[in-house]
Amino acid sequence: MRKKMTLASVAGVATITLALAGCGGGSDPTDGGGGGGDGDDQTLTVWAWDPAFNVYAMNEAATIYQQDNPDVTVEVIETPWEDIQTKLTTLAQTGELEELPDIFLMQNNAFQKNLINYPELFTAVTDSGIDFTEFPESVVAFSTTEGDNYGVPFDNGAAVSALRTDILAEAGYTVEDFTDITWDEFIANGEDILAKTGKPLLSGTAGESDLITMILQSTGASLFDADGNPTITDNDALLQAIDVYTRLVESGVLVEVNSWDEYIGTFVNSNVAGTINGVWILGSIQTAADQTGLWNITNLPSLEGVGEATNYSANGGSSWVVSSNANTELAADFLGATFAGSTEFYDTILPSSGAIANWIPASESAVYAEPHPFFADQPVFQLAVEFGAQVPSVNTGAYYYEGRDAVSAAITNILNGADPESALAEAQATVEFAMQ
Amino acid sequence: MSTQLTPVAPAADRQDERPPSGRGFSSLGGRRSLTGWVFLLPAALLILVMNFWPMFQAFILSLQTGRGAQLSFAEPLWFNYQRMLADQTFWMTLRTTLLYLVIQVPIMLVLALILANILNNPRLRFKGMWRTAIFLPCAVSLVSYALVFRTMFATDGLVNDVLTGMNLIDSPINWLGQTQTAQFVIIVGLLWRWTGYNMVFYLAGLQNIDHSTVEAAKVDGANSVKTFWYVTLPQLKPMILLTAIMSTNGTIQLFDESYNLTAGGPAYTSMSVSHYLYEVSFVQNPNFGYAAAISYVILVIVALLAAIQLKVGDKRD
Repeated sequence: MRKKMTLASVAGVATITLALAGCGGGSDPTDGGGGGGDGDDQTLTVWAWDPAFNVYAMNEAATIYQQDNPDVTVEVIETPWEDIQTKLTTLAQTGELEELPDIFLMQNNAFQKNLINYPELFTAVTDSGIDFTEFPESVVAFSTTEGDNYGVPFDNGAAVSALRTDILAEAGYTVEDFTDITWDEFIANGEDILAKTGKPLLSGTAGESDLITMILQSTGASLFDADGNPTITDNDALLQAIDVYTRLVESGVLVEVNSWDEYIGTFVNSNVAGTINGVWILGSIQTAADQTGLWNITNLPSLEGVGEATNYSANGGSSWVVSSNANTELAADFLGATFAGSTEFYDTILPSSGAIANWIPASESAVYAEPHPFFADQPVFQLAVEFGAQVPSVNTGAYYYEGRDAVSAAITNILNGADPESALAEAQATVEFAMQ
Repeated sequence: MSTQLTPVAPAADRQDERPPSGRGFSSLGGRRSLTGWVFLLPAALLILVMNFWPMFQAFILSLQTGRGAQLSFAEPLWFNYQRMLADQTFWMTLRTTLLYLVIQVPIMLVLALILANILNNPRLRFKGMWRTAIFLPCAVSLVSYALVFRTMFATDGLVNDVLTGMNLIDSPINWLGQTQTAQFVIIVGLLWRWTGYNMVFYLAGLQNIDHSTVEAAKVDGANSVKTFWYVTLPQLKPMILLTAIMSTNGTIQLFDESYNLTAGGPAYTSMSVSHYLYEVSFVQNPNFGYAAAISYVILVIVALLAAIQLKVGDKRD
């Protein structure tokens, strides 16, 4: 019996030991899950999410860097953005910073939030030799805090109006009629085109405030002031942007749909005459191969009467981060020599993946100036970089997502008949509550 | 009748096997009992470490405030719970979740019961096919079914096409863009996915019913409705209780449908409380203390409802 009991205890202890050993995993260097700074100092591990876009770009950057540094290898681990966010949160929370890769990609809109909540994940690259003045100020602002740079901007989020020239022509318009105009003119043209062709000019996902934040940024305004306090009430630019949005919806110039797929469907299926979004939307537009030569791009309408009233804005974009667990010197040198210093690199990735640079010198290359057949031979990439350089810089703050969601809810309520000022006061209260 | 259905206690729990004097470890019974405990120990310890310790940690977390990893104990300690009282979004999502519970669970269980009865009919043909077809939805991935539903209920989707084709509506309904219809789509989605799952429990229950009791009722002249109501249903009571508790539990923790099907919209009005918990943790600025407090409130609600159901359902003769 005693023997039996000993056996049983051994079995019990063994089970627990095995089970607990399973939980503590991750220290195995072959698991590929991170471990940036340890061991081999000639390998850079990277997290990025899109195999056709940023993963591809990173691999191309590695090829170019290896021309001068043959010993360096770059290992890209494909990780969806939501997973990167969850991983970062978990690693910061548990303090397991050695699981971080050397470099990871971060959505610009989430940058301040992560930087302020988890400063221990980041390494400042201010003095790494990267010239941040070669990027648009508005883009660098996403990853800057207290004068220090924590990110190297990657994809361009400059906003463009993309329009169907054939539908415009049917109603007697050209793209010039939509260049350097105001929102009032845009709505008037849109109503005319809708009456003549039956096609709305724009579509958008219901309950999303993307267009409104684009309009806001074009005037140099934001949902937050320079100190990060919400400015949703008493925000003249926001009230006017919402007024523009309401007029767009009520006049039928903008048709609201419910999901991203439906939104893409509206212009791919020729149900609308155009769209306004970050320049990355051109990739989706080009999926409609039968519309080759029928599109043009131009700048955004401006919101006259408030702030700076420019015709330029941005939506989206992402930046590379050197983690706190990185081989800092190598990682910064790599990013500086490629994403912030190589025309050859951007020339390679542009034609194959459509990744448009934020790095301004890239736009001077001949590849950027080449006419694009889909967009009726316009040099769309050069235009996008030019637009990007003129976007007013604003502070989106650490509470960007709270602000965006609260304003989205307010827009839905306003379109359902609520008074704009009280709906916005409610949104402000929601954000202030979240900030407590 | 109910004595038949009283679950048989697992061997380990059977008190009658222990000799009356077997308290000390020196006796044979005592040593046997100890061996039993040693075998149970690994599992018990694992459950303690893996389940109960995190639960305890979560409770401690719910007493802390701060952003990200910089947490400290709240002042007062119950601050997060107090905060919840003032959080309009929390109350809205809780109300929505309870609405789903009140509407969807009864409909689903009645429907599952009816289906199980039909499929239990010995004269029904292609029984296997029907059973598989009705059970199949719950084997489908949560994400893919939500996406299919979203496509079906799109403004230019199948549902609107069919309704327009049948001249039931003049213009397409914006199913996911309006509060009531978005909630309706979630309820329909839940019904589609989980009715078959509950039906399987009832089928199992029905097959365990002694056929002679039904025969006896028929001999006594009861019609099929009466037989079902007075003979079958009482014997299914433990199963009904089980499914009711499981469905309540599942609905209060509802996440996937809210997240994938409607994304909580429009304006948060179809969001479930668990989805809100996720937003507080991962979409907005991470506020884990508050999120833990919300999860504890969900736990209390689940426990309370289960206790009430057990109390109401367990009327032993």
